Amino acid sequence: MRRILFEIWKFRALLFALIARHLTARYRGSLLGFVWSFLNPLCLIAVYSLVFQYYIRFDSVEHYTLFLFAGLLPWIWFSSGLLEATGSISGGGSLITKSLFPAHILPLVSVLTNLIHFLFAVPLLIGFMLFSGLLPTVSFVALPLVILIEALFLVGLSLALSAINVRYRDVQHILGNVMTLWFFLCPILYPIENVPEAFRFTMLLNPVAQFTEMYQSIFIHGEFPSAAMLTMTFVLSIGVCVFGARVFNHYRDEFAELI
Amino acid sequence: MSIRQHLSTFFSEFAQDPSAGAGARVADMPNGSIEIESVTKRFRKVTASKKSYTTVKSDVMGWFKNRKESGEVSHFDALSDVSFSIEPGSSLGIVGRNGSGKSTILKLIAGIYHPDQGTVRVRGTISALIELGAGFHPDFTGRENVFLGGIMYGLSKKEIEARFDDIVRYAELEDCIDDPVRTYSSGMYMRLGFSLAVHTDPDILLVDEVLAVGDATFINRCQETISEFRRRGKTLIFVTHDLSSVSRWCDDAIWLDKGKVRERGEPRYVIDKYLGCVEDAEEAELKRRNEGNLSAENLPLNLDPRDDARGRSRTRWGNKDVEILEVKMSTLEGEDKWLFHGEEGVRVRVTYQINKPLKDLVFGIGVLRADGTEIHGSNTEIDDVSPPLPAENDTYPQTAAYEYNISRLGLLEDSYYLDVAAHSKDGLPYDYHHRLHNFSIRSSKKHSGIYNPPHQWSFEGDEEKFDKAESGVKFARRSRG
Repeated sequence: MRRILFEIWKFRALLFALIARHLTARYRGSLLGFVWSFLNPLCLIAVYSLVFQYYIRFDSVEHYTLFLFAGLLPWIWFSSGLLEATGSISGGGSLITKSLFPAHILPLVSVLTNLIHFLFAVPLLIGFMLFSGLLPTVSFVALPLVILIEALFLVGLSLALSAINVRYRDVQHILGNVMTLWFFLCPILYPIENVPEAFRFTMLLNPVAQFTEMYQSIFIHGEFPSAAMLTMTFVLSIGVCVFGARVFNHYRDEFAELI
Repeated sequence: MSIRQHLSTFFSEFAQDPSAGAGARVADMPNGSIEIESVTKRFRKVTASKKSYTTVKSDVMGWFKNRKESGEVSHFDALSDVSFSIEPGSSLGIVGRNGSGKSTILKLIAGIYHPDQGTVRVRGTISALIELGAGFHPDFTGRENVFLGGIMYGLSKKEIEARFDDIVRYAELEDCIDDPVRTYSSGMYMRLGFSLAVHTDPDILLVDEVLAVGDATFINRCQETISEFRRRGKTLIFVTHDLSSVSRWCDDAIWLDKGKVRERGEPRYVIDKYLGCVEDAEEAELKRRNEGNLSAENLPLNLDPRDDARGRSRTRWGNKDVEILEVKMSTLEGEDKWLFHGEEGVRVRVTYQINKPLKDLVFGIGVLRADGTEIHGSNTEIDDVSPPLPAENDTYPQTAAYEYNISRLGLLEDSYYLDVAAHSKDGLPYDYHHRLHNFSIRSSKKHSGIYNPPHQWSFEGDEEKFDKAESGVKFARRSRG
């Protein structure tokens, strides 16, 4: 853990440069360029809104589109960040096998690049809040805290999965399916109140569901996330981080041989 | 937004860590020294059956026990029990055949691989040029890659900026430093990589074969740089198949053979030992190939030397009235071999069998270069020699042999074919061997062309030799004034 922290600090300039590069490189050659990082979630939200609000006539939530917004943006960060990070080391090629490149930078770059895409979309979300007649409240102060906790969770998970994926490439294929299931198990399309009491515990066991709830309380209800939830997720995230670093260090010596 | 701007924003005051690079370090060693102690590096053999892999369960246990389960996997040792140390300021060349573990050693020193047994101790910063363009991002421009690469080597943004122009000038890339490196040629890749590596001013420079793609001008510059590098007490490790550069650039050499150190010492000595072994292996290979040629082969009755049904050029044809049973090459002293030195004399010994009464018989011999150029061709008719024919009442078949002696081959290093033939005076082939027998020439001197006549150089003033010069160029040196 300390080794990874030290090396992240040592190579932070490399990390920043790579993130900057990824941000600009992603949409190189596309006409709309950076607009895509807004358009992608917007299209998704439009589709879900249409289906759930008008076809299925799901009406237990006020401001349903905004509700989707608040849940989907962080989810997109989480899922695409994790998927990208998982393949980042096995796809690192000669960077890993033939040069002195610090491998753990790669999953971090994936996580942070996607975080920045998320952050870019937040003003859009605020604009939509205003459009729906809601004003941002002081609860926004909690946003960086929630993001930080989720980032820790995501980094830990990414370190572990990216490292295991070098040896067992199945991980990234399994993960693609797991993410779909995971998405529906989080209260993104439906409010947590709709989950029957008997199944409510699944929400407590699912950290991403907790994160989703916290985002929703900040953006929609204008409330501070509960201290209990913050503490619980924070402790969990630290745990996942330590675990992830552990797994990563266990495998890192053989990256160069297996890629 | 260009990366340059990003870099400028982010790279303020990059704290330099002198231990950039990798590998275990020991404080009491002088900078630039490397110690490798009974190192074994084992690689998992990739087997089709997944069952031989460690199980997921034992792996999961390993995360917590902090050690590796070895499992029942088939392994091979890329390096076994290798020990040597390198003093600062020395330049070590590593030679050996493909797969002997040369690159593995470099990667161990660089810290990309980790030894399974033994220790690798390295003190000082390392720059490694393991493969062309490794560590470069193809889509980034040369400029961006210099900055990223510099950071990877542990330089600060300011340090890179200060050296940037030198790096580009040295690599001769002034015109295309802002193009993506994927548009670069391999020479440009190498120049940029080498330039960056030497300008980061490492204590240890590891170079794996990559310099081979440089042009003559750049190689000369490399040589100057490397000499200067050594003068300043830096350590160079150099893996290559270009043996002449090892003897030129290194003051120490190691010959690795199948993961073991076979020889260590003065480059000339190590290279000679290595070449000797390579020759033995080649000799064995040529022998094997040539011995298989005539055994179990049914000489087809075929008068047509053109391509056979499969489109291959025929290597043997004839009507079998005379059959060539065996072709052997040896030195004039009678030592059988297929690998010669250019200065050596050669004896070809052909054993043949006459199956029928013949009206006449001509033996031919030819030496061909691998590309088909005939270098020498002769036959008994040209040389006014008549092979003895059996007397009228002799029984058939009859076995006999002839020898063809060449007092000095005078060929340059290459591989060659030896053609032998038996045919009648009017050209009817009895047995024709074309491109069937191989031999090779090895030479320590790299003359150019295809032929190396006996020659010698003499200069005016060296009276004794000058008078004696027989064949060779005489240089009349103008006396001063």
